[in-house]
Amino acid sequence: MKLTRRSVLGSALASTALAAIPTGILPHLAQAQTGGGGHSVLNALIAQYAAAAAEGMKNASVAALYDRDAFTDYLEVYPVADLVDGFDWKPGMGATFTGPYSKLEIKAPFTDYIPLPEGPVLDPAKTYKIGFVFHGFNHPWLIALADTAAWEAARHPNIEIEVVDAEFDDNKMGQIIDTWVTRQFDGIVLWPSREAPMGPPVDRAIDAGIPVVSVDRRTSSQKISSEVLGNFYANGLQQGLYLKHSGQTGKIILNRKDLGSTADSIRTGAFLQVIGQEEGFEIAGNYHTNSQRSLAFQSTVDALQAIRDVAVSFNTGGEEAMGALDAIREGNRLDSAPDGKRIAILANDDAKEVLHEVEQGNIAMVSPYTPLIGDIGIRTVLLHIGAKEGLNAAPPRLVLTPNLPMITREKMTIEGVETMTPAEWPYAYGPAVA
Amino acid sequence: MSDIQKTHNPAVFVRGGSRLARAFGSGGGDLSRLFVLIALLVSGALLFPGFASPGNAMVILTSVAGVGILALGMTMVIITGEIDLSVAGIAVLSTVIGGVLLPGGSPAMVIGAVLLTGLVLGLINGILVAALRLSSLIVTLATMGIASALANIISRGQASYPNAMPEFLWFGRGAIAGLPVPVALFLLAAAVALVLTGSASFGRRLYATGGNARAAELSGVQTWKVRLTVFALSGLAAALVGLIESARLGYINPAGFVGLELKVLAVAVLGGAALSGGVGSVRGAVLATLIIGCINNLLNQAGVSFYMQQVVTGLVILAVVAPGFSKRIDVR
Repeated sequence: MKLTRRSVLGSALASTALAAIPTGILPHLAQAQTGGGGHSVLNALIAQYAAAAAEGMKNASVAALYDRDAFTDYLEVYPVADLVDGFDWKPGMGATFTGPYSKLEIKAPFTDYIPLPEGPVLDPAKTYKIGFVFHGFNHPWLIALADTAAWEAARHPNIEIEVVDAEFDDNKMGQIIDTWVTRQFDGIVLWPSREAPMGPPVDRAIDAGIPVVSVDRRTSSQKISSEVLGNFYANGLQQGLYLKHSGQTGKIILNRKDLGSTADSIRTGAFLQVIGQEEGFEIAGNYHTNSQRSLAFQSTVDALQAIRDVAVSFNTGGEEAMGALDAIREGNRLDSAPDGKRIAILANDDAKEVLHEVEQGNIAMVSPYTPLIGDIGIRTVLLHIGAKEGLNAAPPRLVLTPNLPMITREKMTIEGVETMTPAEWPYAYGPAVA
Repeated sequence: MSDIQKTHNPAVFVRGGSRLARAFGSGGGDLSRLFVLIALLVSGALLFPGFASPGNAMVILTSVAGVGILALGMTMVIITGEIDLSVAGIAVLSTVIGGVLLPGGSPAMVIGAVLLTGLVLGLINGILVAALRLSSLIVTLATMGIASALANIISRGQASYPNAMPEFLWFGRGAIAGLPVPVALFLLAAAVALVLTGSASFGRRLYATGGNARAAELSGVQTWKVRLTVFALSGLAAALVGLIESARLGYINPAGFVGLELKVLAVAVLGGAALSGGVGSVRGAVLATLIIGCINNLLNQAGVSFYMQQVVTGLVILAVVAPGFSKRIDVR
């Protein structure tokens, strides 16, 4: 089964049917599926807006950027599909524990997804060695990712996990994987920074008979055992849906991640697919601030000087959103959108500091993108090891994490998506803000 | 003083040339920087209606104040013939230590700890370079790595927020008589640096140390003291900039200030400081800071991508620095 957006588009005449449903019925549908069915509702909306974008965009300014950066190329191959074994995620699910590395209290949303019972796993008489390699013991998002991986491993006494930080050095990550191959590890889980360089080391591990699972980001390997992928598409889509619903139009400044990165291509592309169908938006500033708050801050400070009537600040990440907010605050421009409205700051990544600003009414909305998925990677690789030993069936190649609903200050229903408030969201990561 | 040393100290000893060129130092280096700055200001004003506004001027000054303060420190280090690559590491570690003290510490304790950490790290650099005669490139490279790693270990990689301490935030968001504090601190740092480099005692020792350390020592200059002083000042400046930038963003980031040392080095070089030592001026560093600030502001206002901004900045540095470098080779 090839789970790409194209295949979903092909099969999802359901989405067309959904699009044909009078919008008044959609909230009812969402209500019926609140808590769990949000995944399929969002997937249907993704298919609906992708199909509309393929037909063409009404907004020339948005269409120009969409075409120039070739978003279609990225969006068409990004997987959008159902969850494994029909998993039905509901808010409130998941385990609470103290992160082994961050020492912060964590509530991980997906610990019931592809579950494994606590205690010895696979062959209880054997000890299994798992390598977990990622980049960045210096970033809250990534530390939280490692926290969940180490937590899952610790639940099983016959699992030994080695967690290594490759410090954003692709060569180092490759060497670490090669070392684990030499040491005959039983399974490897990785969070790659870039796709292409990690293909060969992953292939070498697979060729040596070691199952390999990537989480969040992808590698160029065609042999990789499984990929655990997040909800980038639903992130950008919901930013667009919120903006459309809010009725705020005008000039938009974009603070984007690295050009060509998955997060930027999919989130920004999905956002543009939605607002591209609306008149009244103008892309007035387009910056790649590379996940750096200080760069997002500076570009926003300068853009505010050039553009007096900014209406919207779109940000592909939480870091960018916080930088933009600080810049807007420093310039006393929070309420400087046309007609005295507040500039609508749209964010991704459910860090506690971002949720705090949503609660304060300074950031309009945030689409959660949880780092708390390392545990899924560990469970998936264990199941691959079990399949190799004939103990269980192998998990699918693509393991998609549930689409999470956007968080807004007030609860609302937008095109069938029921939003959650910061107070209802227990999964935020990172240190708390006083 | 030899002829070469006179040439190396453009702000003080140059003779000849036009009155304007004399006013702006040897070979008209600072004069060309001034012309570049004026050209940027004029083109900015013509291209963007809001560019010449007092508000935008303040935005530019506030944006580059941090880099400017560091460039002043770096320029003095470079004049002695050394280099300081540890400024980003020192800025991170200093502010992280302040962040650790935030929950229970008084403002004086937190801010004092930040500045003291920077000063101590700068002194360590200075002792290793001046007393043990180790290469400053190697020493500060090591300090940069150690400081960044310690910042991560101490903070467990987690950010902290100084929002509940207005005294801390004042360094980035406050104002003195309408002047943003970062700008006021930049001006103060420039004034101090101008006095130090222009003074008959410290200034001459500074240029002599970088121009010809052996000759300076034979003349009775205790070059180790000069080196120790400039590294201590650079460390203190790094901590101050860490404070300013963390206060502006309300966020102490253990992974922050990535690549800051190279930006600062670029500004110092654009300002006329020669990595071979003995050459450089405060005026040049200030002009270079303003040039970089104007370029970034203009390119951001024009919506030019971050990547293209790096290309343009690099080309401007080459265009301004290369002619002066050729002249120096000719002189020698």
